[in-house]
Amino acid sequence: MKLPLALTQKQLISGLSLILAALFLLSLFIGSNPIPLFQAAGDALLDTPSVIALIFTEIRLPRTLIALITGATLGLCGAAMQGLLRNPLASPGLIGSASGAALGAVCMLYFGLSSAVPMALPTGGMIGALAATLLVYLLAGREAGTLTLILAGIAINAMALALISLLLNLAPSPYAVQEIVLWMMGSIANRSMADFQIMLPGILLGWFLLMGTGRSLDALTLGEETATTMGFNLPQLRWRIFIAIALAVGSAVSITGAIGFIGLVVPHLLRPLVNHQPSKLLLASAIGGAILLLAADICVRLFPAGTDIKVGVITSLVGAPFFLYLIIKSRRSLL
Amino acid sequence: MSRPLFIALLLLICPLSSQGAEQPARVVSINLCTDQLLLMLADPAQITSISYLALEPNSSFMAKQAKQHPINHAKAEELLTFKPDLILANEYSDRALIGLVQKLGYQVETFPLPSSIEGIQGNITRMAQLLGQEERGQQLIKQMNQRLDKIAQQQLAVRPKALFYQPNGYTSGENTLQNTALQLAGWRNLAAELGIQGYRAIDIETLLLAEPEQLFTSSYAPGSQSRAQQQLLHPALKRVTAGREMIEIDYKQWICGGPMIANAVEQLHQSLPK
Repeated sequence: MKLPLALTQKQLISGLSLILAALFLLSLFIGSNPIPLFQAAGDALLDTPSVIALIFTEIRLPRTLIALITGATLGLCGAAMQGLLRNPLASPGLIGSASGAALGAVCMLYFGLSSAVPMALPTGGMIGALAATLLVYLLAGREAGTLTLILAGIAINAMALALISLLLNLAPSPYAVQEIVLWMMGSIANRSMADFQIMLPGILLGWFLLMGTGRSLDALTLGEETATTMGFNLPQLRWRIFIAIALAVGSAVSITGAIGFIGLVVPHLLRPLVNHQPSKLLLASAIGGAILLLAADICVRLFPAGTDIKVGVITSLVGAPFFLYLIIKSRRSLL
Repeated sequence: MSRPLFIALLLLICPLSSQGAEQPARVVSINLCTDQLLLMLADPAQITSISYLALEPNSSFMAKQAKQHPINHAKAEELLTFKPDLILANEYSDRALIGLVQKLGYQVETFPLPSSIEGIQGNITRMAQLLGQEERGQQLIKQMNQRLDKIAQQQLAVRPKALFYQPNGYTSGENTLQNTALQLAGWRNLAAELGIQGYRAIDIETLLLAEPEQLFTSSYAPGSQSRAQQQLLHPALKRVTAGREMIEIDYKQWICGGPMIANAVEQLHQSLPK
């Protein structure tokens, strides 16, 4: 993927930000019914807001914000994981963090704990994400090749999925079993500002932890030994990234379900644009992830009302062929 | 002589012919809706078995009365051991099972699921006839009609706007018992006005734009948790109804059509804004 024009980091980030801002606005305009958005935004400030203001502040704004921070989290965590493991196929979806988070959230939601303590939901997600990530990491070993890592990820994903399905079957609610699709595919429909507030603390904390890892990840591209001799504490870096991913992905997935392929695709598409430099890739991938998920969610909303297509269907339709392309491209190193 | 024994003897001596028509003595119902009508209309001695769902207190209006009868799970072998002379089912009961027992020579009567008061009256009348309990049937209908008439006489000049909202965003449009009950109680049913037929999901933006004054729901599994059920807690729902809480109507009043619809209508009527 060679680009005809060389972009500086600043140009790239401002370009991506512009696209994101445009999608953000567009996302607010798109719903099942056309509403005069500017009037709605104005009405929202009134003491007794109108119905269109309610649709704006309680339906469309939370949905857009959730798509934004979830997409950013998945993109960012994918980039950090690929940098840490120096593995192009590492991502929250493939390594099991997302399905682990979904499992943790399912434990909390269907058995009544999260209705008593709302923060139990993201906490369950974080614990699940951390457990799954560590398991894959331990299974595959520190110097794992791509193939080993993928296989360990497949095993943990399958295990998490089986447990989710078992739990949903055992759950007291008659609606639980149908909701397996939601956890596997992910959806942002009908979420409220309360959901956004529940997921925000973990996500911000995760982002914050990842923010300072850029230089260490750059050093890591030279190999573990070199990075260590340069004075970087790798065990500490590893823990920091794993915990950050658990916090951010755990919180996001506990609200949206596991939305696939964003963490894989986005860092890949942007890597050539940042000269393969992990430190620059982090921010770019965060914005890129937000762009992809917002676009996918807008796409879902363009289907006629009543067709409840999960947003993960769109990201997977885009991501899976890309995954195949990556496999073909790296077939020689895999075999 | 103990009282139950005395009654039993009395029943033996004078067979239950007072209601006239010939009465089936071994009736088996395999569906919650026919279970309930059977329990309301038949002599306890006529009831040979009812379905296990009749015992479920959230969905069965007759759960208490159901306890004294043997239950079945609508399986062919099980039914035959009861040696029924009449099997009651509804239009959505297992076709294959009904075909099988009919082939074996058993009489099966299937009842439609009514969505109107006329439909309920029709089912009661037919059930009463089949059981040879016409008088009880007429009595039941009369009582229900009296209660409904009373409410029909106390209507507001302007009907407020209501909407029925269920987990996963389902609502009840035209041709549903909820629609019938809302109208009889004095509400407008926005779902029917939006052209929704039967039970269908309604998009939350569409719901808000319709500006309901009151939302009603009916829990199928109270106390359990799922994303579908969480949807009822969306803060926008409470805000659009000016802070009015969603009102819960017992599911057992209208999961099946029966005279208990009068309870639902009364409850809906009482929740009209004063």
